[in-house]
Amino acid sequence: MHHIGRYGTLIAFILLCAGFTLAAPAAFASQANVFNLLQQLATLSIVATAATLVMTIGEFDLSVGFAASLAAVICFVMFGAGAWPWLALPVALVAGLVGGAANGALVAVYGVPSFVATLALGTILSGAAFGLSGGGSLFQNVPAEFTALGRGAVFGVPVLAFWIVAVMGVASFVLSLTEFGRHLRAIGGNALAARLAGLPIARDIIVTFALAGGLSALAGLLLAARLGSVQPQMGEPLLLPAYAAVFIGTTASPTGSPSIPGTLLGVAITGVLANGMTIVGVEPFVQKMLTGAIIIVAVLVRRLGRAK
Amino acid sequence: MQLTEGEGRALALALDGLCKSFEATRALDGASLSVRAGEILGLVGHNGAGKSTLIKIAGGLYAPDAGVMRVFGQDVRFNSPHDAYDAGIRVIHQDAPLIPAFDTVDNCWLGRPYPRRLGMIDRAAMRRAIAELAAEIAPDLPLDRPVAELTIAERQFVRLLRAIADAGKILILDEPTAALPAEDAHRFFDILRRLRARGTAIVFVSHRLDEVVEISDRVVVLRDGRTVAELVGAEMAVNRVIEEMGGAVEAAAERTAIPQDAPIMLSIEGLLTPELRRPVTVAVSAGEVVALYGLLGSGRSSLLNALWGIEPTLAGTMHLDGAPHRPADPHDAIEAGISYVPADRHRTGLFAGFDLVFNKSLPLLANYRRWARLPLPDAQRERQDFLAAAKQVAMVFRAPAQLASTLSGGNQQKLIFSRWANRHSKIMLLDEPTEGVDVMAKQAIADIIRAIAADGNAVLVSTSDREEALALGDRVLVFRDGAIVAEFSRAEATPAALSAAAQAKERAAA
Repeated sequence: MHHIGRYGTLIAFILLCAGFTLAAPAAFASQANVFNLLQQLATLSIVATAATLVMTIGEFDLSVGFAASLAAVICFVMFGAGAWPWLALPVALVAGLVGGAANGALVAVYGVPSFVATLALGTILSGAAFGLSGGGSLFQNVPAEFTALGRGAVFGVPVLAFWIVAVMGVASFVLSLTEFGRHLRAIGGNALAARLAGLPIARDIIVTFALAGGLSALAGLLLAARLGSVQPQMGEPLLLPAYAAVFIGTTASPTGSPSIPGTLLGVAITGVLANGMTIVGVEPFVQKMLTGAIIIVAVLVRRLGRAK
Repeated sequence: MQLTEGEGRALALALDGLCKSFEATRALDGASLSVRAGEILGLVGHNGAGKSTLIKIAGGLYAPDAGVMRVFGQDVRFNSPHDAYDAGIRVIHQDAPLIPAFDTVDNCWLGRPYPRRLGMIDRAAMRRAIAELAAEIAPDLPLDRPVAELTIAERQFVRLLRAIADAGKILILDEPTAALPAEDAHRFFDILRRLRARGTAIVFVSHRLDEVVEISDRVVVLRDGRTVAELVGAEMAVNRVIEEMGGAVEAAAERTAIPQDAPIMLSIEGLLTPELRRPVTVAVSAGEVVALYGLLGSGRSSLLNALWGIEPTLAGTMHLDGAPHRPADPHDAIEAGISYVPADRHRTGLFAGFDLVFNKSLPLLANYRRWARLPLPDAQRERQDFLAAAKQVAMVFRAPAQLASTLSGGNQQKLIFSRWANRHSKIMLLDEPTEGVDVMAKQAIADIIRAIAADGNAVLVSTSDREEALALGDRVLVFRDGAIVAEFSRAEATPAALSAAAQAKERAAA
């Protein structure tokens, strides 16, 4: 019986796909729609990967969306100014890393609860994004090489799909097969025991938040590349779906812990749900309510399964 | 106030012939006890004798496999702790949670319907009810201060008050004085006597036999899950109780003496930490086991914590094998050749939701690299090393991939020990190494500790278990109030001497 608990989430995803395929075979199961879906979900996948890393050590990062916005704004402001456009990407990524490291330092060194630290720091990042952008859209002097990062295709497959594979593949490798990943899981499992076992937990926590900030910045840049323009609030809607994906993903793990494959499944379920419901004509407000309900059901089924 | 009459009063709780098995282990095998209203019954036995199982059955947490339970003459069957509560039974653990920000009155009313006046909570009535009770049994207890500001002893009084404020008729106190300094223990006993005078039935469960003998009207001794003796009057003497319990844990008579020329492995001079009030100087030879014995809060674990880099050093020096040791964190301590088994393994040692190999290899993970320069652990080597270490500590398990939470307490503790197996460390630090494990596992762990010492380690064992200090220590240092107050060689160390030293002077004289 416990296989149903373990693979229930995956089975639910397959049933979901099968259902939409039957309901709208031409529109849902088409190559164009699948590619479209991959493009839409790339930024969410990367932000959700950042959230997964932070949740692995048992913390929260509420600044992921703000960091994404700020990175995109920094990049486009540099494009607009026309000075060293080739520096824009690294500067934006470093801004994300530094912001994340600051989050980590507040948590690891000063003991600020991550919820508070990342909310406060995220608000600062958001303010900076508004200030730099002047509050409006940015779209001038954007090099074609940059937009290709988000719009191009390789072997006929959208380039963003490769970004998903690369980011999640590396993150999964790091979490499951490296010493650093082992440390993160230990900290999330029992932070006090991890400290007493001699793990460098302050360093590990700071690096984790820095990576989360850097990945958020990357997500913001890819979103900007796909859209070709930037608004200072563009990253914020990513926050809640990213955590929803992580939580759905935890239901696929035997111990209820976050994992990259689980998060990928979570992103896929939320993405397919939204996409499929739009195709079959469900009203957007109903979509939202259903998505929330499905997350609750997934977690409840999991809990009840474990209680036995 | 009436005095106790013992026999004349109603039988409050009677447990008769209780049996309880967990898989292959027989925790209780015909245990019986009874306590009357207005009586204090002492319940004693070694770890694993079945005391905690008995308490859990009386508290409704476990159902017995066989046996009869009666409360005030009525046969009862508890399906949950709630049923036991409704029957008037209150099991009080020494660390039962209170709400720190609530005062005594609010803590006492927690979970009960509040008195109301005009639809609002009637705080004045709440306070009155508690003040009346408190005046009777604990007149000095502050009622309006958050319990976070109260002493450990006062919090213990709050727990008692809360238990009887809500119609508690039968109190089962599990090691209620373990964390109390001696003078507070006396205040606690005064309160118990007043409760007894009010007709409360009290079961006092403790390892502190002198206290049990002092406060109890009768003592029941458990051994191997059975009631083996019931002592009253003059029979209630510490020596007699120990005899009935099955004697002290077998002292390792065959323990070989430390050679005179054994090198000094650890020397600590004038060490002061925030938990110590007087500087500590001590030297430990290779192969020697030094027991640090004291009550909770006596400072007995400070040396371990300072050596492991988790308690700051305010003054003094530490040398390992001649080299200065000033660890900033446990990582430095590991590098310096120290191994450590923390107390309270669930909170501080175990990764319950992870498999056994994960738990074993974590502190020395970098030893399992496939390629020295890449931080990638080699799962094959980890597994082999785990199997070898598990064998060394005689761990019983199903598979290396099983979760640590599925092991028994003793095997979980062996799992923590296994982390350091096969490692050539210089110093082994053990904090309450056999806390909460059964007698068999306790013996096995004692054997492991002796083997570690025989391997040339200097071993420090911090313990609040007197028998353990006696059984393991080549020397015993007794801590009280943040200072070493006595030192005994193996030959000098006796239970009475240790207890006298560990408790305040006033008590030692009594």
